[in-house]
Amino acid sequence: MKERITMAISIGCVSLILVMLMFTQFKTVDKTDITAIETMRETELRSELSSWKSKYDEVEKKVSEQDIKISEYKEELKDDANTSSTLEGEVKEAEAYLGLTPLNGEGIIVTLSDKDIYNIEYDDILRLVNELNIAGAEAISVNDERIVAMSDITLVNNRIVLVNTRKISGPYIIKAIGDKKYFESALNIKGGYIDSIVVNGKGIEYSLEDSITIPAYEEKEKLEMQYAKQSKED
Amino acid sequence: MIIYLAIFLGCIIGAILGVNAPVISYTYSSYLSIAIIAALDTVFGGIASVVKKNFDLKIFLSGFFGNSILAIALTYLGNKLNVDIYLAAIIVFVGRMFNNLGIIRRYYIDRCVNIIESRKNKKQENK
Repeated sequence: MKERITMAISIGCVSLILVMLMFTQFKTVDKTDITAIETMRETELRSELSSWKSKYDEVEKKVSEQDIKISEYKEELKDDANTSSTLEGEVKEAEAYLGLTPLNGEGIIVTLSDKDIYNIEYDDILRLVNELNIAGAEAISVNDERIVAMSDITLVNNRIVLVNTRKISGPYIIKAIGDKKYFESALNIKGGYIDSIVVNGKGIEYSLEDSITIPAYEEKEKLEMQYAKQSKED
Repeated sequence: MIIYLAIFLGCIIGAILGVNAPVISYTYSSYLSIAIIAALDTVFGGIASVVKKNFDLKIFLSGFFGNSILAIALTYLGNKLNVDIYLAAIIVFVGRMFNNLGIIRRYYIDRCVNIIESRKNKKQENK
């Protein structure tokens, strides 16, 4: 009898476990709504997932590398911007010296005019430009013709004055940027420029200004070195 | 009689527990299914042994748990090796189940035939 009871209990336990597992499995299969195709492809999907994961990792690595490169490039770019800005400043300065940019500043405006029979000669203008240059003019223009390194002031047919090979006529207005007081004193020296003009009976007026605008050199021919080459300093 | 009662009770309680059990993840349900197949095989084997009158409780219990655990272990190994070993386990278990079912079927058919023949004989004797 005792044997029978143990047998009954053990078999009951076995059936309990079996039926419980079966019902759990039924429920799982029922709840997990997976079609046969997907079941077949599960391992495939899993391997694909793992490969995608590794790919993702790789791509992420690349992205971080690229980020580092980008930051490096940005730094370089900053440096470049610095150098380019300094270069730009240098170029602008050079252009200002060359007379390729209009300039503004304090200075003097001198007006030379014919009086009666005494005409302003081209060398009067030339001398005035020389005087102003001696007095430290930073930019000079004659009737809005900018005087640059290659400018010329010549006389043609005894009558026509050319500046920068452009015809000009009186009254001649010469503008110069620089220390206006220095200009004034330089021109007013006894026996100086103004005296010589007045003695010759020609008309001269000047005014000191706080703000004079001198136009840029208008290129008739391009400023180009054809014969001159930069000498190498060793 | 008490054995049938135990089986009946076990089935009912097991069904209730199984219905209320949480849904296990699909990954492990393949292990569970192979364990169920192994257990079922053992149960049919047990019934066949009862029929053959050489039923041993120890062998039955050890087979029930041992086969299930072994089947799960083999399936796990197959997963690791990327070989569908559980297919082999299913073939073996289901083949044995059919074997045992055949034995049970033959036994009961023999019994039925015996009963019918004995009845016929009785009727003839009565005549």
